[in-house]
Amino acid sequence: MDLRACACGSGLRHLRCCGLDLATLSPPGACEPVRPLLAEAQAALAAQPERAEAALLALLELAPGFEEALRLLATLRARQGRAGAEEVLLRRIVAINPNNFWATNDLALLLLRTGRAAEAETHARNGLRIAPREAQAHNLLGLVLTEIGRPHAGEHHYRQVLTLVAQPDAGLLANLAWNLKSQGRAAESRAVYEQATARDPNLYQTWLGWARLEEADRRLDRARELLGHAANLAPEDPGVRMMSAILTAREGRPEAALAEIDRLGDHGGQELGANEWVEKGRLLDQLGRPDEAFAAFTAGKAKARAALGHGYLAEQAAEQARRLRGFFTADRLAFIPRARPAPAGPQPIFVLGFPRSGTTLVEQMLSCHADISAGDELPIIHDLTQAIPRLLNSPLAYPEALCELWMAEQRTALDRLRTLYLDGARELGAAPPGDDRDGEASRPTWFTDKMPLNETHLGLIGLLFPDAPLIHVLRHPLDVVLSVFANQLTHGFFCAFELEGVARHYALTMDLVAHYRAEMTLRYLPLRYEDLIADPQASMRRVLAHIGAPFDPACLEFHANPRHARTASYAQVTEPLYDRSVFRYRRYLSALAPVVPLLEPVIARLGYRIEAPT
Amino acid sequence: MSETQDPLAPLLAEASADEQAGRLDAAEARLAAALRQAPEHPHALHLSGIVAFRRGREGEARALMERSIALAPDMALYHRNICAIYRALGRLEEGREAGLRAIALAPDDAHAYANLAIIHYDLLELEEGLACSDRALELSPELPDAHFERAEVLLLRGRLDQGWEEYEWRFKLPQAGRMLPKGEVAQWDGERRSDGRLLLIGDQGFGDVIQFARYIPWAAARWPDMVAACSAEMRPVLAQFPQLASIHDRWEDVPSFDAYCPLSGLPRLAGTRVENIPGTVPYLHADPARILHWAGRLDRLLPSGLPRVALAWAGRPAHNNDRNRSTTLERLAPILAVPGVAFVSLQKGPARSGIGAYFGAAPLLNLGPSLETFADTMAVLACVDLVIAVDTSVVHLAGAMARPVWTLLPFAPDWRWLLNRPDTPWYPTMRLYRQTAPRAWDELAGRVATDLAGFRDEIQRPRA
Repeated sequence: MDLRACACGSGLRHLRCCGLDLATLSPPGACEPVRPLLAEAQAALAAQPERAEAALLALLELAPGFEEALRLLATLRARQGRAGAEEVLLRRIVAINPNNFWATNDLALLLLRTGRAAEAETHARNGLRIAPREAQAHNLLGLVLTEIGRPHAGEHHYRQVLTLVAQPDAGLLANLAWNLKSQGRAAESRAVYEQATARDPNLYQTWLGWARLEEADRRLDRARELLGHAANLAPEDPGVRMMSAILTAREGRPEAALAEIDRLGDHGGQELGANEWVEKGRLLDQLGRPDEAFAAFTAGKAKARAALGHGYLAEQAAEQARRLRGFFTADRLAFIPRARPAPAGPQPIFVLGFPRSGTTLVEQMLSCHADISAGDELPIIHDLTQAIPRLLNSPLAYPEALCELWMAEQRTALDRLRTLYLDGARELGAAPPGDDRDGEASRPTWFTDKMPLNETHLGLIGLLFPDAPLIHVLRHPLDVVLSVFANQLTHGFFCAFELEGVARHYALTMDLVAHYRAEMTLRYLPLRYEDLIADPQASMRRVLAHIGAPFDPACLEFHANPRHARTASYAQVTEPLYDRSVFRYRRYLSALAPVVPLLEPVIARLGYRIEAPT
Repeated sequence: MSETQDPLAPLLAEASADEQAGRLDAAEARLAAALRQAPEHPHALHLSGIVAFRRGREGEARALMERSIALAPDMALYHRNICAIYRALGRLEEGREAGLRAIALAPDDAHAYANLAIIHYDLLELEEGLACSDRALELSPELPDAHFERAEVLLLRGRLDQGWEEYEWRFKLPQAGRMLPKGEVAQWDGERRSDGRLLLIGDQGFGDVIQFARYIPWAAARWPDMVAACSAEMRPVLAQFPQLASIHDRWEDVPSFDAYCPLSGLPRLAGTRVENIPGTVPYLHADPARILHWAGRLDRLLPSGLPRVALAWAGRPAHNNDRNRSTTLERLAPILAVPGVAFVSLQKGPARSGIGAYFGAAPLLNLGPSLETFADTMAVLACVDLVIAVDTSVVHLAGAMARPVWTLLPFAPDWRWLLNRPDTPWYPTMRLYRQTAPRAWDELAGRVATDLAGFRDEIQRPRA
């Protein structure tokens, strides 16, 4: 008899756990005789967890496919901090019974908690398919969609919960409020937070979320006050204390903020998490301590990699780039018709650029223009790349699926895809109705789409919108790489999780852009962040001339723009232009030395130099 | 080292045969084997240099050949061959030295003189070049290369009547290949005919076809029944001549004919001299519907109110003088730095890649990939204010359409641009910019940039 315990940590024998052949399981009815063991475990779970565990292990030895027992054991392992075992058990339930909503729900939450949002989305969507009238199914999908940057869709599901439950609880309202914050709808978010705290003033998470809203909305005093409520309820919570440090930093007291973070690390011998390390690094940078700052970023990234289980997915990124380059060639594109211009309505301006290149600033400036609204980071181009094989009824993946455009049935497909993009943008609030001027509602002529790394799909953008202005924001590559490394981002095959990954993905992306520019007719304008800082008026005149819009001096007053940018740059774009981020890399040259050879060709191509600090 | 004593001689002979037959992988393998046995074998090194050159590894080719010469300094062949490599690398003075050394070592080698004549041409040492061609022809009166080189010098100097005769040798050059029809039909002598059919052939490059198409009405006046054969790309050009009963881009589709004439042979038949070059333009026109289409497209894609300047910086890479006549977008940076101008790239082919590395302030629209035919190119030329390009088909097209065009020429230009003049009798709207030294693009680009700023100020007008 094989008595080996399973390596996953479930506590079960290997042959009853990861070595189990699901085909050998008994039908559900046949397991009923062992149900008393489940009742015993349920009764003992709170007060006598060891007894509950023993009962569950005994039960699952006899009936290893007993779903309720597996889920209860998963709950037990979660309480014990054994997330690996928890995941294995939940996945087994879902494998045995794909219609088990609660196991699907738990698995999605676990995946979300551990930074695997894309997979969480798959399970959350399954959950809703299983139980469309279940409030938690909508709540879960709302949570996931908000987390992956699709708050408009997330809001729909939160609102569905409100129609399904008589009295929404405070947690749901807090979720909705956070969602509204993510959409930049601060006033509505604030109102929902008020409702949520009125319904249950003892949830510290609600106060914390509200404080974050006020901090993003530049109401620092109010944020501090709200954080006080959270701190009263959960004074030792790391999130609460971290928020306090962030507020202290925004109040202009970086040294005090740093001390707060350090105390966070001291507490109970706990180690700082990835976010804390990165925040600490930024404060050290602000204090002019680059070596320590870089060490903190490095520590943060190591933590983030450990939690994720991997770093930059270099091979996947290279494979994608290889296929895009192979497909989008002038010869082939000559045989692909372009989408016709959309008949009416606001048209997109694509603000392209690697994360941390200054795209948020450019969008913030452009959206001060009377004729331009901010679309923010629209995920639609990425979504289309996923949907194109299905939409074109192709057996091939994207981009090769675009070969279907040669078929008679698909000859107008690009027009349909273009309409899908525009409809999606409208649904996401990218082109809202304008102000009522002179008794007539005006609509913007353009809206921006500044999804980071949209330039990866410049070929598709060029097919869908051959006349759309493309503003490519450039910045010294070493500044970009440093800044990405100093932030927590998941874009670009998780490149931000390691310094070399950022540099490699930057070089790969810029090479891809060069390829598209050589192979296609594109309405492309490079815009240097450094030029924008040095002479904002000249830069904006150039950009607006490229777009075909008249100059609007309001663009230069962008810091007064009440719009709330929801990306990592939100705090910076609420300040007038500053040049402290220009050529910041110089103070980090020795730390960046390992990636300089990777970037030298693109640095030269862009016309930058590498200079030591003076 | 004589071949009878050299144990590697058979292997090297095979490698050489492989190289001449284009079996470069096999040649490389044999040469690698030879060099493993005798790393300092001069002929193995020399042949390796030739193969490296044919592979495009020019720096390596030069190093190998220089080593072979150091080991066997009296081998005339080595000097003769490295002469061509120095030329390709733009090291003309070294090429001349090598060429002189080759004829010193082998004073009866006609090929060595022909090679040196080309280098002299590139250095604009025309007397010396002519002397070399003459000497080559004394030694080998039927050597096409020497006749052709002689033609180039005579034509460049404006001695067209003499030049045309020598220019007829172009069809005997090894690379002339399939330009002329096979069979027994004779070449037209320019006599008037009222019966039978004449076949005109769009030979040479696109630019030549565009340039010499102007003679079609002259030819039609002498032989009314004419058809034309040309590459498919040239159809939109030749289709503008109603004198042509039909145009064909496949030999098998060409109807029977009683004589043929390459388009590039018409100037000779017409007795063209510098004074009577038929310079009436325009003789090519863009299609109005296409102009409308491209005007709208340019208006959508470019900022309004800026003069529009079309650019092309490289010709067909296979052209035998492409290294001298073509440049890179990067080298034209002074032109692109002129403020208040929008640029439209008409560049086709691999040189387009330079656009991906352009991050200047001036708008640069990459229109090359969207230009499907020369009909599109003509329509775009009708929509821009100025064309600036190296010596490629685009300047001929612009010139034939009477559009303002500035042609950037290498130090030793093609014969048709003559010498020392800023204009050309072939195209009245064309301005010529000549390099002051071989491959001195920077100085030339600077001059063009200065003139472009003036041009911009002259024509600046709102485009609403």
